[in-house]
Amino acid sequence: MRRLITALVSLSLAGCASQQKPAPTEPTPAPAPSTPAAPADAEAFRATAPQPGKPPELVLPAFQKATLDNGLTVLVSTRRELPLVYAGIVFAAGSAQDPVGKPGLADLTYRMLLEGAGTRDTVALDNALGDLGTSAMQDVSPDGSRLGVRVLTRNLDGALALLSDMALRPTFAPKAFERRKKQQLADLVRRLGSPNALGQLVFLSSTFGSTHPYGHSATGTPDSVQSLTLEDVQGFYKKQVGPAAAALVLTGDISLEDAVALARKHLGGWKAPAALPPAPPAPPASTRQVVYVVPKPGLDQTVMMLGRPAIAAGNPDEFALDLATTVFGGFFGSRLNMNLREDKGYSYGAGAGIDPRLGVGPLTAATSVRADVTGPALGETMKELNGLKSRPITEKELEAAREGLIRAFPGSFETVEGLGSSASVLFMKRQPLDEYSRTVEGLRTATAAEVQRAAEKYLDPSTLQIVLVGDPLLIQEQVSPLNLGKLMPVEPDTEPGKPRATR
Amino acid sequence: MKALAAAALVLFGLPALAQATQEAKPLEPGREALAIPYEKYTLPNGLEVILSVDRKLPIVSVNVWYHVGAYHEQPGRTGFAHLFEHMMFQGSRNVADDVHISMLEQLGATDLNGTTSFDRTNYFETVPTHHLETALWLESDRMGFLLDALTPEKLATQKEVVKNERRQGTEAAPYGLAQEEAWHALFPLPHPYHGSVIGSMKDLDAGTVDDVKDFFRQWYAPSNATLAVVGDFDVAKTKALIEKYFGSLPSHPKPAKPQVAPVKHTKPVVIRFEERVATLPLLSVQWLTPGYFENGDATADVLATVLGTGKASRLYRRLVLEKQLAQSVTVVQQSQGAQSVFSIDVTARPGVSTDALLKEVDAVLEDVRKNGITPEEIQRARTRIDTRMLAGLQSIGGFGGKADVLQSYNHFVGEPSYVAQDLARYESVTPEVVKQFTRDTLRPDARVILHAVPAPRKQAPAESKERH
Repeated sequence: MRRLITALVSLSLAGCASQQKPAPTEPTPAPAPSTPAAPADAEAFRATAPQPGKPPELVLPAFQKATLDNGLTVLVSTRRELPLVYAGIVFAAGSAQDPVGKPGLADLTYRMLLEGAGTRDTVALDNALGDLGTSAMQDVSPDGSRLGVRVLTRNLDGALALLSDMALRPTFAPKAFERRKKQQLADLVRRLGSPNALGQLVFLSSTFGSTHPYGHSATGTPDSVQSLTLEDVQGFYKKQVGPAAAALVLTGDISLEDAVALARKHLGGWKAPAALPPAPPAPPASTRQVVYVVPKPGLDQTVMMLGRPAIAAGNPDEFALDLATTVFGGFFGSRLNMNLREDKGYSYGAGAGIDPRLGVGPLTAATSVRADVTGPALGETMKELNGLKSRPITEKELEAAREGLIRAFPGSFETVEGLGSSASVLFMKRQPLDEYSRTVEGLRTATAAEVQRAAEKYLDPSTLQIVLVGDPLLIQEQVSPLNLGKLMPVEPDTEPGKPRATR
Repeated sequence: MKALAAAALVLFGLPALAQATQEAKPLEPGREALAIPYEKYTLPNGLEVILSVDRKLPIVSVNVWYHVGAYHEQPGRTGFAHLFEHMMFQGSRNVADDVHISMLEQLGATDLNGTTSFDRTNYFETVPTHHLETALWLESDRMGFLLDALTPEKLATQKEVVKNERRQGTEAAPYGLAQEEAWHALFPLPHPYHGSVIGSMKDLDAGTVDDVKDFFRQWYAPSNATLAVVGDFDVAKTKALIEKYFGSLPSHPKPAKPQVAPVKHTKPVVIRFEERVATLPLLSVQWLTPGYFENGDATADVLATVLGTGKASRLYRRLVLEKQLAQSVTVVQQSQGAQSVFSIDVTARPGVSTDALLKEVDAVLEDVRKNGITPEEIQRARTRIDTRMLAGLQSIGGFGGKADVLQSYNHFVGEPSYVAQDLARYESVTPEVVKQFTRDTLRPDARVILHAVPAPRKQAPAESKERH
């Protein structure tokens, strides 16, 4: 209150702001004994960007690891500022382990862990979490699944008791299964109403092939989910979930010692035979033959996705390709975004990135553009891709990407959830604890020649599959003349395998 | 933090401060970490400065709130405050076009953005400590010299970018246009909340360079802004830098806040909307509720949690688990300055009508009106709110981080660290208070009911067999 009033009373200045040169205001308390110079000179310092001071030491998150007798990995990162902990169990099997013909099985299985565990049914379990001030965060990805909570330190023991019930003692009640499955199906109906989800579905099958472990989305399709049974779920759980294929991740207000003690208490008795799944095989390389079109008549915007299988985590090209992709489309100031958004106003944003996984993961460029500029926008995207060869990445672009990526690291590790997520990814991709130092070193030492070579190899436009979601007539009219391949319609409810099989 | 991040308020005679008169009580054991040490002062040109040191990482957040939002727009120019926000990234006298974001990215900035709500606009970036001066330079240049670099071409491009943003978030988004129509109904003209923050296509087309200039001159002065610096920095050096970059910017007296009569609905508004994007029917029931920090705002927040957070919450349990009529339930008290909005959104299972959902929602509300809720439910909600608040303080910047928390409290009550008082509001929520609130405010005859139902051909069947 007092402060508010002070603020309001302190407005003594007249002199309406206008375009005139900013005259220094009279009542400025003069900290420096400056002579009253001409206004223009006094403001001349603004013309050049400040020189940065000495850079601080780069602070990267530190991870510690222990292994229990039953094979369970314990990953810890200590951060004491606030009495908060992220506690999660990460499972090494993900949607890549969905059996052929059963996309969506991993997703449904892990979601069942929240539908009753130990002596609690769905409601009792949720109330128990609520008493601890939390809800469970759940996430199923190709290389694994995470189940976790963020709690006040004082609630950690209780949270681990619940997490261990969910991981070790899911009830898999038939009634809950039937309900959950119906919910998953309806959720698919909802998701497939989104142009982005449709694009993603077709993109995965067209780049990896429908039978490849990475060739389907984790949520599956209506057909596949419809066919899943409780026996499937129990079978997946039995085969894939166990201490040797899981890690307990604790980040925040906790030490390794305390973490190990808690792990022993809650998960030390866990016995189950599951082993770490193998890395998915590399998909075959292919050049583009067709352009996939998912028809959405009358849609105001066209979703565009371009991409290919690129590299697995640990590939020697990883850091050079990360830099090349960043220059092309990783930053707001990247070539692609500056062209499509800032120069042409075609889009709210356009970007590109790589996703190195345990196996070979995708490189993706994506945007959503005003429907009536679909052709020009795709043309500009191809022009920027070709430009990587005709206008090689400059030293300035490279250094900007390098510095930007490296210096952003500390800012990405502010929260206990963020640390927990990083630790979980290390486990899923089987990476060493010093992976972040290795990344920084790799980004620092990648040479201009390596970066240019990676750009030309992986961002070669002829190797990128193209998926468009939008008005089919408009796409026909605007995209055909670009000669990027025969336009092939893919109906939204088509199985992911179909487009590939027909070409 | 939802309320903090989403909200903004114009302090007409500070309606909320009846509650604020209680002395800032010390935080209870276990909550000490919620207290944020800070220093606040005002430059002679009216710029408020909030400094808060946090040394956990070698990064620092710079965060500027301008006390202006969509609420302050002129009729026929909806979306202007947000369009203007885009222009603030397009260069100023000493910062070349399109350089602002790229330069920060190349220095390793994170949490870099600007946002507009009804009552305020903010700009923020988190930078490595040695680039603090660059961030201050960039922010001060656009605060002082934006118009020197303004061109009709840049405005034309950003209009297109914003129209794409609108298409993406409204026309081509599930329920986007339907929810917009409900919002219009909640706040009939001439209430300044009537328009969407993103504005209408027509109004976006109409904006001129002169509008940009007028808007800047009227609202974007140091006297109408608050600069927060949070993180790992040297206080004395930073004060000198702030003086250097902001001290000589010209200003004018803080602009007056528009006075607006509150909206009161006396009969229900029912909207039946043919949804073109989403594939499942949506029922949305919305009420006008007390503004942020006003009496009843915290009650609504607790009730929203009890009704819709978690699988055991009352609406989720009944509609999704027991009756299996719904796919999802979202209940939110969207706290904002003039008036807040309490909304219950229920997505139907395929084949379930929104009218059937409304009956169930009404039955659950009627039960609360009659019997209230339990002390256990209130306790759970409070624990969730505590944890959420603490978690929000983990990041120094970004959406809802520490800088935003300081700014938000400062904006609403003039006191950057208001956490204890904020939490105290929740202590006074009892089963009886919730019952009374549901009776008095969540009335059946004072609400907007939206049925957004996909056209039959678009509504996918529940069974996959029927598809080709």
